[in-house]
Amino acid sequence: MDRYDWLLFLHMTGAFLVVGGAVMAGVFNLAALRSERPSEIVLLFRFARLAVGAIGVGMVLTLGFGLWLVHHVGYGWGQTWIVLALVLWVLSNALGGIGGKHEKQVRELAERLAAEGDVASPQLSARLRDPVWLTLSWGSGIVVIAILALMIWKPGA
Amino acid sequence: MLALVRPDSWNFPLFLHVLGATVLVGAIGATVLIAVRAPALRRLLVRTIGFLVLPAWLLMRVAGQWIDSREDIPGDPAWLGVGFLVGDAGLVLLVITALIAWWGVRRPERRWPVRAVAVISGLYLIALFVAMWAMTTKPD
Repeated sequence: MDRYDWLLFLHMTGAFLVVGGAVMAGVFNLAALRSERPSEIVLLFRFARLAVGAIGVGMVLTLGFGLWLVHHVGYGWGQTWIVLALVLWVLSNALGGIGGKHEKQVRELAERLAAEGDVASPQLSARLRDPVWLTLSWGSGIVVIAILALMIWKPGA
Repeated sequence: MLALVRPDSWNFPLFLHVLGATVLVGAIGATVLIAVRAPALRRLLVRTIGFLVLPAWLLMRVAGQWIDSREDIPGDPAWLGVGFLVGDAGLVLLVITALIAWWGVRRPERRWPVRAVAVISGLYLIALFVAMWAMTTKPD
């Protein structure tokens, strides 16, 4: 195996962590939406945090080894697919970051309710179904899929 | 360097194959996490396997066959064999896992079904990683 193979493997490992982590976060967020018990919502959000950790590691791997691959192969830095992928990478992180702050607030509310008797609350339910947060979270996932498509079609290469 | 000279007609099946594989990895990861850390959430375990793991496997496998028919790869390279092995044997493992998880919902007093799901899913996650390595680096 040459350097290209290793770089591609590590770049792909990052991609699997990002998309896989996004899928895991989606599973746990959907399960939290269906759940009413605060203690169960806390548990699901803790799982989602692990998934977000995988996404973070994957984002670093995809960017680092992706840029190295561009240099190694000799693609032009101004090619459409590379510029678009970098813009979408930043956008995905921004959307995920904003969504993550809301998620933290919801988790803290769920933790408080769990400690105070573990009874379902309309406030928690409303925060879980916040349309802005849901749009940001799912939007971040869609942007990641768009990056995957760019990596395969490579428009402008 | 295949990716550098790939014909445009291979892109869509390759996209579906990679998308299916990445979703499968995430779905199996979620399955392992639930089975290990939240064994009481048995219905979530069954729903994750039924509504996400199995459809993702199907997408990965069908799209893989589609692109294989386009590429017309000469000979029988080891990396392709690893991919087929992990893919096809995976279906058997996943169906067994789904049945065990369903049994675990029907028999909530028994702990072995969730443990079995955790072990099988964990092993399959490792196998998927090996397949990803083989299919990406394509060793001789």
